[in-house]
Amino acid sequence: MQKIEAVIQPSKLDAVKDALVEAGVSGITIFEARGHGRQKGHTEFYRGREYAVDLLPKIKLELVVSDDAVEKAIQAIITAARTGRIGDGKIFVSKIDEAIRIRNDERGEIAL
Amino acid sequence: MLRAEYERRLTEIRRGFEQSGDGLKAAAARAALVDSLILRTWAVEAEADPKLRSGFALCAVGGYGRGLLFPYSDIDLLCCVEASAAANAKPSIRRLSQSLWDCGIQLALSIRRPEECDHFQPGNAEFGLSLMDVRYIGGDQKIFDRLREKSVGKMMQRDGKAIAAELEKLTRDRHAKYGDTLFHLEPNIKDCPGGLRDAHVCQWLGSLRGEGTVESPEFHEALAFLAAVRCFLHYRHERDDNILDWQAQDAAAELGIGLSGRVRASVDPAYWMRVYFRYARIIERRLIREAEDSGLRIEAETPLRRIKVSRDAGFEIKSGRIELAPLAPSGIDAAHEPDIVLAVFAAMARTGATLSPATEERIADAIPLLSANLEEGPGLWLQLDAILTAERAGAALRSMHALGVLELLLPEFHGIDALVIRDAYHRYTVDEHTFVLIDTLHGLEGDPGPDAPEWRVKFRTMIRELQNPGLLYLAAVLHDTGKGRSGASHAVESARLARSVLARLEMDAYDSSMVMRLIENHLEMSAALRRDIFDADTVRAFAGKVQTHEALRMLTLFTYADIAAVHPDALTPWKAENLWRLCMAANNQLDRNVDDERVHTLGSLDGTAASKARDEKIARVLALAPGEETALENFLNGFPARYVKTRSADVILQHFAMTRLFEQEPFQIAFQYGNAVHEITLVTQDRPRLFAGVASALAAWGMNIVTADAFANSTGVVVDTFRFTDSFRTLELNATERERFVASVRDLIAGRASVEKLLSGRRRGRRRVPRLKVETRIEFDNTAAAHSTLLQVVAQDVSGLLRAISMTLSSLGHNVEVALVDTEGETAIDVFYLTNGGLQLNSEQERVLREALTAAISENAS
Repeated sequence: MQKIEAVIQPSKLDAVKDALVEAGVSGITIFEARGHGRQKGHTEFYRGREYAVDLLPKIKLELVVSDDAVEKAIQAIITAARTGRIGDGKIFVSKIDEAIRIRNDERGEIAL
Repeated sequence: MLRAEYERRLTEIRRGFEQSGDGLKAAAARAALVDSLILRTWAVEAEADPKLRSGFALCAVGGYGRGLLFPYSDIDLLCCVEASAAANAKPSIRRLSQSLWDCGIQLALSIRRPEECDHFQPGNAEFGLSLMDVRYIGGDQKIFDRLREKSVGKMMQRDGKAIAAELEKLTRDRHAKYGDTLFHLEPNIKDCPGGLRDAHVCQWLGSLRGEGTVESPEFHEALAFLAAVRCFLHYRHERDDNILDWQAQDAAAELGIGLSGRVRASVDPAYWMRVYFRYARIIERRLIREAEDSGLRIEAETPLRRIKVSRDAGFEIKSGRIELAPLAPSGIDAAHEPDIVLAVFAAMARTGATLSPATEERIADAIPLLSANLEEGPGLWLQLDAILTAERAGAALRSMHALGVLELLLPEFHGIDALVIRDAYHRYTVDEHTFVLIDTLHGLEGDPGPDAPEWRVKFRTMIRELQNPGLLYLAAVLHDTGKGRSGASHAVESARLARSVLARLEMDAYDSSMVMRLIENHLEMSAALRRDIFDADTVRAFAGKVQTHEALRMLTLFTYADIAAVHPDALTPWKAENLWRLCMAANNQLDRNVDDERVHTLGSLDGTAASKARDEKIARVLALAPGEETALENFLNGFPARYVKTRSADVILQHFAMTRLFEQEPFQIAFQYGNAVHEITLVTQDRPRLFAGVASALAAWGMNIVTADAFANSTGVVVDTFRFTDSFRTLELNATERERFVASVRDLIAGRASVEKLLSGRRRGRRRVPRLKVETRIEFDNTAAAHSTLLQVVAQDVSGLLRAISMTLSSLGHNVEVALVDTEGETAIDVFYLTNGGLQLNSEQERVLREALTAAISENAS
């Protein structure tokens, strides 16, 4: 099992969700996030005053999938979230030791 | 054996309920059944041990004590034992409990000595409250009498105030948990405001006052309805689950649950829910009265604000209650006078006071007469505006709605009365969502505190500095009325309904157009938030729909409150911040490209930003002037698209008609006197210093320009519109001055009178000290338009500023192609698209202009 964490543009959330469902991923956790990578941020002016927009709005997704589904899920996210511009986001993948379904104590991939 | 009998009897009770729909009867039957089983089980014990016949009593408490056991409700049994009998009784009580559990009766059993029940413990309020409903089942009657008369009676007498205070606190906390509203899409019919628990509180408060339970027919009807629904839900869920979810609503409507008193048949779920809310309102209002009679206040605490009410106002405010004046000897009833009744609600909205029960009744009874006496038009709008813009408008509107006054003024609101719209996000009925939205907007006016995020501070500034906040609140009231109609889009339906409201209120074109655009576009900002808000195309498209800074400010605030009113967690700080960022980006976009995007060819608009909506607007204008299409197309040709977008079809036609009068008077002026902001529009053939001329004329009259714009078409016809406030109330105090004002402005523009002479004759008033110091910023942009230079001046808003700027521009020979003038509180933001000799300004011209403007602004301010 592996955990996929993806930071994407908020406007791409619906497309990514649809793509993951299409790829057979059913469980997903979504966080409203702020941050920046190479995109840094910029300055906005409003009525003559300057405002720094240094942390940009992002959506962070977390999903845990079986090893054989990882690549499919990653491709689904990339295809749906990519615009080719700076700020499209990042995907991080890490190993998961165990998954437990609280309701019935099922363990392993069956609990996903 | 006993279990089989119990189950058989339960099945009979259920069958009886399914046939009769009588929830009270079913609940009473289950209580009686449990009584009989307890007595039979206890009889076996008492037979075996005669000592149990004295010093011991079996008592029902809580709901069971009231003799009402809903199908899956807990059974609270109190074994009241004298100290001397306790040791002997314990094994028998254990066996009684065991036997009843074996029957399937899940007892919540407590054992107390009578003297342990004579004081109320706030830490165990539930037990104390349950004792108030204590009822004898069996055993030693004397023990029971001692418990009821001496212990419980003593407790209620001695600790009555503490019990009432605890009830007040528990009820308030419970109501707060449900957002202090009964209008939930999926209500808990026991615990929500207006639910069964509130009915119990009414009964307890009555008992504490020693008045017992006096049930009015409507209260009993409401109780019977809720009891039927609770029985239905228990049977449906097979547990003590009192949530009336959508599926349950459908099923209850299908079976006509609770409607047994009338024709019990399938009804529409929306209708059935309205019946539910009507009964819940009856319970809630009764609770408020019971609380008031007990010296309590169940409604959320709001600090009262004092206002002065004149003696002849027709009402008075005493101890936070508004009381209508008693019936006059002449027979005149204040409740029949719309002006008085609306003033009552305005006072309610300003002070946070509530109506006395008698006043509520008198107003509710007077609705037909109020309807006959009501006069619509600007006067009604003034009264509505006073209610909507006051801090506690939400409470006043809820009260108006409950009494039928809101529907009297705005029948369009009736369609969303207690309307349940099923989606996964909303928590409240459509009418309540509207009131929560209005509460949220007023909440933004409050101090956000020192650690508030930037967007919160900015939103507060925005709402406090709106020129005419009543428009935002009116749009809020009407924005979802279309949900009560079938149609493709509720925003379109709401706008259609709003049009007739605005016509009845006889609002001027600018205000009407603002309200209409807010309603039509009220979902646009939420939609834009789902796109990339840093993408230029997204921002451009959104700004294109908003068109003006004032509309953007209102839409931003509206969207904030609309999302927050969906449910308490809907508006995350993340969303609010994105809203603020989109507002900033759209704001910067609004003044760009205005000079380039023009009505370019007859009947359609310039290439890139042309949209179907705009073409439809032109088509609508043309359709209103049959036979004059060609002349009208010539008039429209070359105007910035902003002009067409921000004017209603009627106003455009008015401007067109004014051009036909140029031969009689080349300076055509339309003047609109408003409640707070007045509007003057000049339509004439372009000539130098025209814009500066109007600005100067208004300055000479002491008018404070709030917003302005200036547009020209391809034949050089200009339409300059100025919206201004009358700082010295010249036009308000002297209605006859209005004509003289218009004539004077015309003469000043035409050069037939001297601005300087008028200015020198005007005594300059002492300038107030600004709350916020605004630094002057002057910026040029040659990329915002292909053939003109964009000049943006941000400066302290002081009278004469626009005159100073526009005179400087004309003195240097610069032509104003487009002007967009706006103020935001203390800040004036003036944007001009300038040309000189038909070309953009060069860097030297910009340098000279910057210096001249800096000097002129500084001189005007000093």
